[in-house]
Amino acid sequence: MTLDWGVVSRSWHLLMEGTRLTLGLFAAAILLATVVGLLLAVMKLSPIAPFRWLSTGYVWVFRGTPVLVTLFFAFFVLGRELGLSPFWSGVLGLGVDGGAYKAEIIRAGILAVDPGQEEASMALGMTKRHYMRRIIIPQAIRVIVPTYMSNAILLLKATSVAVGIGLVELTGITRQLSNSTFQPIELFTAAAVIYLALTTALVIAQEVLERRFVLKI
Amino acid sequence: MAPLVRIEGLKKSFGDVDVLKGVDFTVDKGEVVSIIGPSGSGKTTMLRCVNLLERPTGGRIEVDGRVLCEEQLDGSMRFAGKGKIREAREHVGMVFQRFNLFPHMTALQNVVEAPMAVKGTSRSEAEATAHDLLESVGLGHKADAYPLQLSGGQQQRVAIARALAMQPALMLFDEVTSAVDPELAGEILLVMKRLAEGGMTMLVVTHEMGFAAEVGDRVLFIDHGEIVEQGRAREVLSRPQHPRTAAFLKAVLERAPMEEEDEPARAPGEIERLQREEFKRTQLQIEGEVGHEEG
Amino acid sequence: MDWDLVWESLPLIWKGAGATISLFAWSLLFGTLGALALALMRLSSVKALRWFAAFFGWLFRGVPLLILLFYAFFALPEFRIGPIDGIFLPAFRAAVLGLSLWTAAYQAETIRSGLLAVDPGQEEAAVALGMTRRHYMRRIIIPQGVRIMIPPYMNLAMTLLKQTSLATLVTVPEMTLLTQRIFSNNFQFVEPIFALAMLYLAMTTALLAVQQVMERAFRLRV
Repeated sequence: MTLDWGVVSRSWHLLMEGTRLTLGLFAAAILLATVVGLLLAVMKLSPIAPFRWLSTGYVWVFRGTPVLVTLFFAFFVLGRELGLSPFWSGVLGLGVDGGAYKAEIIRAGILAVDPGQEEASMALGMTKRHYMRRIIIPQAIRVIVPTYMSNAILLLKATSVAVGIGLVELTGITRQLSNSTFQPIELFTAAAVIYLALTTALVIAQEVLERRFVLKI
Repeated sequence: MAPLVRIEGLKKSFGDVDVLKGVDFTVDKGEVVSIIGPSGSGKTTMLRCVNLLERPTGGRIEVDGRVLCEEQLDGSMRFAGKGKIREAREHVGMVFQRFNLFPHMTALQNVVEAPMAVKGTSRSEAEATAHDLLESVGLGHKADAYPLQLSGGQQQRVAIARALAMQPALMLFDEVTSAVDPELAGEILLVMKRLAEGGMTMLVVTHEMGFAAEVGDRVLFIDHGEIVEQGRAREVLSRPQHPRTAAFLKAVLERAPMEEEDEPARAPGEIERLQREEFKRTQLQIEGEVGHEEG
Repeated sequence: MDWDLVWESLPLIWKGAGATISLFAWSLLFGTLGALALALMRLSSVKALRWFAAFFGWLFRGVPLLILLFYAFFALPEFRIGPIDGIFLPAFRAAVLGLSLWTAAYQAETIRSGLLAVDPGQEEAAVALGMTRRHYMRRIIIPQGVRIMIPPYMNLAMTLLKQTSLATLVTVPEMTLLTQRIFSNNFQFVEPIFALAMLYLAMTTALLAVQQVMERAFRLRV
């Protein structure tokens, strides 16, 4: 087998352009997902029943359908109606889908705090507002942040699904290059290495945060 | 007659924290030896070294004629082979502070599991013995209960029966009443007392001074990883020779906290390990609830 | 939205359900077997095995599934070493290969952390009773670990089911591909996509029900 790695360096600037688009999608989608997730988590923990139902229904639908289908909806339906660019359709689809997971992480983190903490706070006469802010949330954060990070790795990888709506991010550009140069091994290996570098960086960030949040309490 | 347990120069450190700094003692057959001392003194670690649940970093341990580990001339440790250690453990029963019953098995199944698996005892024989043992700890009627259905005191008595089912030559007790309500401690201590009267060799880490005085033949007082004083139980407890022993006993009697130096009850590495374990458990549970994004 | 069109799309898309389900079933089977092997390696005392399993996990969890699928479908045919003159896998098998590798990498972690999450006191008690490692793993640790593993395992299975939709990009005629065929013919987008979402939702909800049954079956009896 003769591999010609020159093709990677010749198309390096295109791969980097794809990587930039991947990172852009990732950053915008995680922001949107966080906003959606916070909103849903607050609704889920609210005393008003319809809010809770809405939040539960949302999570059920988006956890139960593939992100590709959500992207189809965002691109072919909403994108056309609202005149969104493919990039923003992608952000919308990934963010709306990711929000369901973020909501569950935030909620689970809050519920993971020992109920004795709430009782103790109430016994001390603290208001709910006060003990959520000062007692519960600081403890929940140390569970939420590391999970959030490992979830972020999945979201980064999920951006590749945007190929399905024609976005030319890292996976898309690699497929195009591979079709035109007939050198799939070299190009897909290069893409895999770039993805590995990005996800490994996130893994390292996760471990640093884990040490900071878990062990230094 | 050679002693059943012979410990020489036992050392154990976690990282740079020296928990045991060279401990010597022996236990004769049929003797009941209580180990007392403030928390963080190293008494539990010492007990766990006897069946090598904790690997010593120095010294020599001999149990029932088997050398489990021995420090070499160059300071390195030589441990007995896996098979030999396991064989020794068959003859050393242990009861834990937190019971450690197998939650997915009934009381009876907990008791028969090891004899059947390790000694190859037949089921009918193992079950007959188990029923007798449960009867003797006053739980004959709870044979089919699962651990979660039992009170702390009952769980601990099942744990004692489980250890006895292996017909051990020596029993190790690690603060077995600390995790149960005070009014339930009595039923556990009663079982232990009867066991002692039956001639069992026992090594007991305890905070129950009454038990140590009444049932124990000898007492070891350990502090800061060293045996400070040892002797006949009643003598040490009523007329301690060493000021540290006297201070400790006074504090226990008055139920006042000992003035301790800034020594951590757990080594830092241990704390980190516990935190990590707890954290991983929570993460796994959350993963189960949250589900996975694709990618 | 035209409900008649939704109704008409359902049977057309359902024709791909067989492919979706068999992609899922085969990948879950091979992936779980691989995961068991990897988890054993990860817990083994042989360093080389531990490293291999850790490397495998890092590699296949660090790369998007889509790259794995494209690799299996586009790159393997170009693979020529010695007597091997390109590995040609039909689309379906290429997809099963990629999905299985993905499943193995993720489920191995579930199995490993499930076993590690069993209270360490359980192992100590078993060791103190003189049980062999082989025996107490089988009788004490694994039965308790399985109970802990069920929710994360089933969650990953659900994700796998959803991931089969990506096989559409390597031309496997499963539900998503058939949906694309419908809307690229009639340019009616909402209805077929809605129908597709409903079918997936029904399947994943069925899996959730299976999970609840399993959790009940493995519940601690008290």
